[in-house]
Amino acid sequence: MGTCMTVLQLLTGLGLTIVGMPVTLLLVFLATFLLQRKLSEVSISRLVQIAVNISLASAVLCAVLMLWRGIAQHPIELGDWVITPYYHLKFEFVLDVLSLSYVLLTLLLCTVIAGFSTRYLHRESGYGRFFVLYAVFLLGMVTAALSDTVETLFAGWELVGLASVLLIAFFHSRPSPPRNGLRVWIIYRTCDVALLLAAILMHEVNGAGDFDHLVGGEAWPDHEDVAVGPHFAVLGVLFVIAAAGKSALLPFSSWLPRAMEGPTPSSAIFYGALSVHLGVFLLLRISPVLDSAPWLSAIVVVLGLASACFAYLAGRVQTDIKSALAFASLTQVGIIIAEIGFGLRYLALLHLLGHACLRTLQFLRAPSMLHDHHQLENAIGTRPRDEELPWEQKLPAPAQLRLYRFALERGYLDALLEKLVAQPVLAMFNTFNRWEQRWALWLDDEQAPPPSKPDELAIVSAMRKQP
Amino acid sequence: MMPSFLLTSLLALPFAGVLGCLLLHEAWSLRISLGTLALFLFGSVAAMLWLPVAAVDVASMFVLDTLAAPLLPVFALVHLLSHLGTAKTVTSSGYCIRSLLAAGLSALALCCHDEYVLLALLVLTVMLPLWELRERGRSSRTFVVYMSVFCLLLGASLLSGLAERTPLGVGLLLLALMVRGGVFPAHSWMPVLFTSATYGTSLLFVLPLMEILVIVRVLITTIPTWMLDIAGVLCLVSAVYCGGLALVQTQVSRFFAFLCLSQTSLVMFAVMLHTANGVTAALCLWMSAALGLTGLAFSIRALESRFGAMSLSEYHGHYEQVPGLAVLFLITGLACVGFPGTVGFVPMELLFSGSYEKGLWVSGTLALAAMLNGIAILRAYFSLFTGKRQQTSISLSVTGRERAGIVLITLMVFGAAWLTPSVVDSRHRTAEELLGLQPTLHAAR
Repeated sequence: MGTCMTVLQLLTGLGLTIVGMPVTLLLVFLATFLLQRKLSEVSISRLVQIAVNISLASAVLCAVLMLWRGIAQHPIELGDWVITPYYHLKFEFVLDVLSLSYVLLTLLLCTVIAGFSTRYLHRESGYGRFFVLYAVFLLGMVTAALSDTVETLFAGWELVGLASVLLIAFFHSRPSPPRNGLRVWIIYRTCDVALLLAAILMHEVNGAGDFDHLVGGEAWPDHEDVAVGPHFAVLGVLFVIAAAGKSALLPFSSWLPRAMEGPTPSSAIFYGALSVHLGVFLLLRISPVLDSAPWLSAIVVVLGLASACFAYLAGRVQTDIKSALAFASLTQVGIIIAEIGFGLRYLALLHLLGHACLRTLQFLRAPSMLHDHHQLENAIGTRPRDEELPWEQKLPAPAQLRLYRFALERGYLDALLEKLVAQPVLAMFNTFNRWEQRWALWLDDEQAPPPSKPDELAIVSAMRKQP
Repeated sequence: MMPSFLLTSLLALPFAGVLGCLLLHEAWSLRISLGTLALFLFGSVAAMLWLPVAAVDVASMFVLDTLAAPLLPVFALVHLLSHLGTAKTVTSSGYCIRSLLAAGLSALALCCHDEYVLLALLVLTVMLPLWELRERGRSSRTFVVYMSVFCLLLGASLLSGLAERTPLGVGLLLLALMVRGGVFPAHSWMPVLFTSATYGTSLLFVLPLMEILVIVRVLITTIPTWMLDIAGVLCLVSAVYCGGLALVQTQVSRFFAFLCLSQTSLVMFAVMLHTANGVTAALCLWMSAALGLTGLAFSIRALESRFGAMSLSEYHGHYEQVPGLAVLFLITGLACVGFPGTVGFVPMELLFSGSYEKGLWVSGTLALAAMLNGIAILRAYFSLFTGKRQQTSISLSVTGRERAGIVLITLMVFGAAWLTPSVVDSRHRTAEELLGLQPTLHAAR
């Protein structure tokens, strides 16, 4: 009994260490910002490696302990953060097959990427900024992976989204990266509304945001029968929308190639391996809700297969390696989603783990692709054969052309979203804005003041303060 | 006796500062006002921690109760940060006096338990932006028109039997407060004010959210529910409408004004929910929104004092020159929209949760407003700090005063998030007292 308690306490401590190390890393970065100290590249690299390796070691120990003692799941409660008679906010983590698999994958890939990035970004002006965002991303991923309440998941989810967007805009001296970052942010925020509403609904249905209240207390993937009601249908749909946004499923797929603006290590880890699988993880976590409604499972299957087909077609015509890999990644994500819809949980999890590792390797080798190609040619003594077009050539010529255009334009998704959603919304608010300005001018009888020149005196004053 | 004296001294402190500014040479005004506001902040924190809440009153009119005690340091901080963020070149003696007067009047209003005095203080605060607009030679017609409507409605409310709490009296007062709070469709004065007056004066007029103070002190237990429901819908519309307008602005000042309107509408909506959960959310959101918006204004002002008024329709790329301000802009902007880990997270969660009893569509609309604000903030961030490589021959990095402000705001945005459980707990008790679900401590004593 005593030994069992010790093991459980040890698991709690190790679980908290997994989350605690990224928090500590961020606190160190925050302190250096507040104290106006600039860390050297070597210090940043060491700090990051230490934090990630300790987290990884803790996760491995957790897995070993749980396997050894046959513990299927272990909740880690951080207590009730906010508790009123009407509202209950709880941060809680859980160690089980799903969470530990995903967190081990995250930490393993993050360790690799940290090592890769220290060399890849050497003497880059945004070296420190990259690792701050990396730490935010790591914290978000670990929090989301271990979450046992919807609030904890939401917190991690948002951190991952923000870090991803700021990393897309990493090379911010050009207008294109921030522009693409903003586009991705818009899609993320839109889909986050669904997750937020799902969180609210969960509170109302269960009186708390705990996943075990929703799907029962048994260890994943086992679950008790879920009582089906209209709320559950809405809840399931909201979760699917949130997952579709994060995993770039249809109709939100247009953000994935845009995300390739960021540096290669971030593309590899975020859009090739981890971030893009977060939606898959969410669907795996709430899979009992899908089981309770066959029509919802059917929607998930159709969504997954449609996304996979679309990504396959779009990926065939890409001319740059990162975009081609992004669509290849989406093809696999679509298939994994379909597997979840079919109820093949373990297969989906294994597929996710294998795919993430393979894709990280491919992304990291992407900058050296020409070199690899030359090596391959030297090894086989000839040029590799061009890939054949297995079935496209059998189509009639006009259909081939249409298909090619469809793939080249990435399914016209960008244009459709822009034309059907973005433009009408912006046009509406621009019209309101014009009315507002006219009303103000009529009322005030004064033109708005032109943008003033920089206050030179203020600049001088600022200069005087410099050492 | 001693606590009453201390409270009197604290409330009189900003006015003593005004006296100092008037009597001493203009060159001393900035130091006096900064010193007074710093002392005021220190005194407010001390009062919150050590003075026995609800046992301290001044002439049975000004009471440090559970509502006022935690808000007083927040107000003091907002005033101090607003002053710290103002460039030395624009801090005239008049500006310092206005800041101190704003601090004094808002502190008095916060502690005031006499509704007539509270309403009089509300009217007095209107004079400060008007004074500045006149001093700067800017047209004040829009502001005057809207504030006249506010005063007229206030007067009509008093004449229509506010004292007896007749439906007409309380309805007119609610209308007056919505005009002053800039709730749709009576919001047009705020972008004009932010464009014409300085950020400091505009912010100190808007952010204390005096209208919410009057609603919770005077109206909340007596007003018919249907009136609150209608006002709630208008606040909801206002939050989404102004969030959308913040998204399409090309002037930074108008972007900030609409963002401010959207955020304050969310706080007002939470009050209109008229439930313990809603009012708790409002009281928490009041503090987090004030802090977040002050920080955002701080970074914008510091930026504009270096580069002049900027357009959001192009990229400026100032990150490399002022990384500290870029980081501050981002974290305070995200705190405003309730980003996890910041001071705004739990209040927004409380608001979403509290809104559910009105229907999922209400929660959805609130989420839409938060989404629009979030997009508007990141759009402004990218426009101001990225997209270009800017180089200057002189260093434009932050000054010592700005550095102090950045450190203070950052610590509050992240540090206060850890205090959330105790703050929510105390705000919940206060909300129940205000709604009459619990006897007030003051009445009990």
